[in-house]
Amino acid sequence: MGYTDTLGADTDEDDDESLDLDFESDSDVVDDLDDQSFSPDCGSDVNDSSDTSSFGNDVTRSTFLEYDSKMDNFNPSSGDGTYDSDGIPKLQYNCLTTDQIYGLMVARLDRIQPIFQLSHGDIIVMLQKYAWSEERLLEDWTEDQENVLIACGLKVEKVLDGPRGIQTHSDFLCHICCESNKQKTFRLECGHEYCVECYEHYIKDKVPEGKIITCMSCSLALKNSDIDDILGDSSSLTLMKSSIKGFIQKHSKHYRWCPFVDCNCIIQISNISSLAEFPRLHLSPYVVCENQHRFCFKCGLEVHAPGDCHVAEQWVKLAQLECANLNWVLKNTKECPKCGVNIEKNGGCNHMTCQSCGYQFCWICEQCWTGHGGGFYECTHFKKDDKQGSADTKNSLRKYTFYYKLFSEHENSVKLDWTLGLTVEQKVKALQENMGISWIETQFLSESIRALIDGRTVLKWSFPVAYYADPSHNLTKIFVDNQALLVSAVEDLSKLLQIKEPQNIIDKKLEFYNRARFVQTRGKALAGCGRDLLCKGICVPFK
Amino acid sequence: MSSLCLQRLQEERKKWRKDHPFGFFAKPCKKPDGTMNLQKWEAGIPGRDGTLWKDGVFPVTIEYPDDYPSKPPKVKFPAGFYHPNIYPSGTVCLSILNEDQDWRPAITLKQIALGIQDLLDSPNPDSPAQEPAWRAFSKNKKEYERNVIEQAKKYTK
Repeated sequence: MGYTDTLGADTDEDDDESLDLDFESDSDVVDDLDDQSFSPDCGSDVNDSSDTSSFGNDVTRSTFLEYDSKMDNFNPSSGDGTYDSDGIPKLQYNCLTTDQIYGLMVARLDRIQPIFQLSHGDIIVMLQKYAWSEERLLEDWTEDQENVLIACGLKVEKVLDGPRGIQTHSDFLCHICCESNKQKTFRLECGHEYCVECYEHYIKDKVPEGKIITCMSCSLALKNSDIDDILGDSSSLTLMKSSIKGFIQKHSKHYRWCPFVDCNCIIQISNISSLAEFPRLHLSPYVVCENQHRFCFKCGLEVHAPGDCHVAEQWVKLAQLECANLNWVLKNTKECPKCGVNIEKNGGCNHMTCQSCGYQFCWICEQCWTGHGGGFYECTHFKKDDKQGSADTKNSLRKYTFYYKLFSEHENSVKLDWTLGLTVEQKVKALQENMGISWIETQFLSESIRALIDGRTVLKWSFPVAYYADPSHNLTKIFVDNQALLVSAVEDLSKLLQIKEPQNIIDKKLEFYNRARFVQTRGKALAGCGRDLLCKGICVPFK
Repeated sequence: MSSLCLQRLQEERKKWRKDHPFGFFAKPCKKPDGTMNLQKWEAGIPGRDGTLWKDGVFPVTIEYPDDYPSKPPKVKFPAGFYHPNIYPSGTVCLSILNEDQDWRPAITLKQIALGIQDLLDSPNPDSPAQEPAWRAFSKNKKEYERNVIEQAKKYTK
């Protein structure tokens, strides 16, 4: 399929620029996976055994959504093959923050310091200039040290005598603010000296950009220690963090920000070559960050199984487009009867020529113009045809709005389920305290809410698949039946989770367990079925 | 306007009045109420002798942002000015006027004015800002020269 190539093509392009931060970057991917060997699974299943380590007081995390550390290869050392038991390529990744990435960079300084024979501060400036790519820096360094030093602002041609750093004077005239009587100034080896207040302004302005901050007159660089001296705090750390952000943007193939609101996690993929495997299998590389947000590394959306990235992308595009334009388009345009492109009539003549396919037709009756016999407005079957035409347009619109409503309805439900999750958390606590039930025995509740949210997400993203699928095909019918089964499974579980009375909850423990398991199985089945549609070309997201 | 910006601009004006390169002029605009608007200047850049531009004094407006001198001023020729590195809107594409490139808070009005004069006769074909002048400059020098001389006559001294 054509689009698989475009999706996968750019994945390993700049592998060489990757920084393998302590993890071995994995390059040996099994070169040819038998297309028949995958089992219908989308990797969105929830692991049922629970993580016994960290349930507790961390308020920033939604503990009810803690996933088992076993799943998603969260621990890079676990597992050894390239594919897991279901034939899904294994992703090895880490969840980091800008602080941690900077920390890792700094930790490497000692190792590369002997090559440069420069202070850490100098090397940091150089790395900043080279967007933290050691390899590129070393390459240039071995070629021409002098040039690198000048380019990074670590060396000037004319060095004046005199100290570097904060100076004190009795009466100094600063040429930036043009004020005299300045006492505290800052000076670099280039001899340019300005008052500390001006430098403060200047640095505060520049810090968010994350680039090297230079002398206010020439290109000599300020080091982190200079910045901290001038501002009297640790602003250089903010500068470094901004710089790391730039680095992440540049290396978007290896790193991705968690797309969830207010989450500062960055996912770093270490075996990037396996990413290329996903589109071919109509799978998506799902990752989970430290705050238990699950998302697709490829497109940055939430988990969107059974749809693949292409379905999700088209659907989201369509939703954005439709929402704003739909009304206007419907009001003001008609579809070309031949190619279906939307045409706006901006002149008086009813003899329309489609700019896209060249088809000539009558605006009134939407029939081929040649049948008009040259006469204007002689549309004999005016009323009948008009009805027919608009019915078609309305039909295609109705189909979309039908699926979109379902999609957004479940989107809302997922949001509500998150809130429900928080109450469930309280219920769990109450059970533990009031009824003296152990933590492990209350886990079925958290598991149920997890199953519910995952089930709903699968359901939600199954509507775009249904929208794009060929409705006449048998497999589509099976898919729709599967959808219905998951809907009822999810609703049953949802109802069960509304129970408030603690004793009642405990009594129904088995029911909770069964229903959650049922949702999981149904979700898995629906996801597999959806992937089948994609793999067999029955569901083709068009433009 | 911050006091830093204002103070610096007053000083720029003083310095310019004391000493500026021959043939140039620069003065702050007047506000409707007759007071001086130090953040907007009108200036004239003479073409350098011995170049195609020698016959003209080219008008520019210089606008200083509130966070000057951290940020560079914006220099504009009249819209449609014929030069490979000047945008159709008249905005000048010059590295010392670009915050992300070579702008430094210490750069003075005099340096900017001389920098622009320099740019007139030594355009940089690697960063084109408009199509007609850039195309003529790189493909048809004759046509380019003719247009430049004609434009210079329009802005004659």
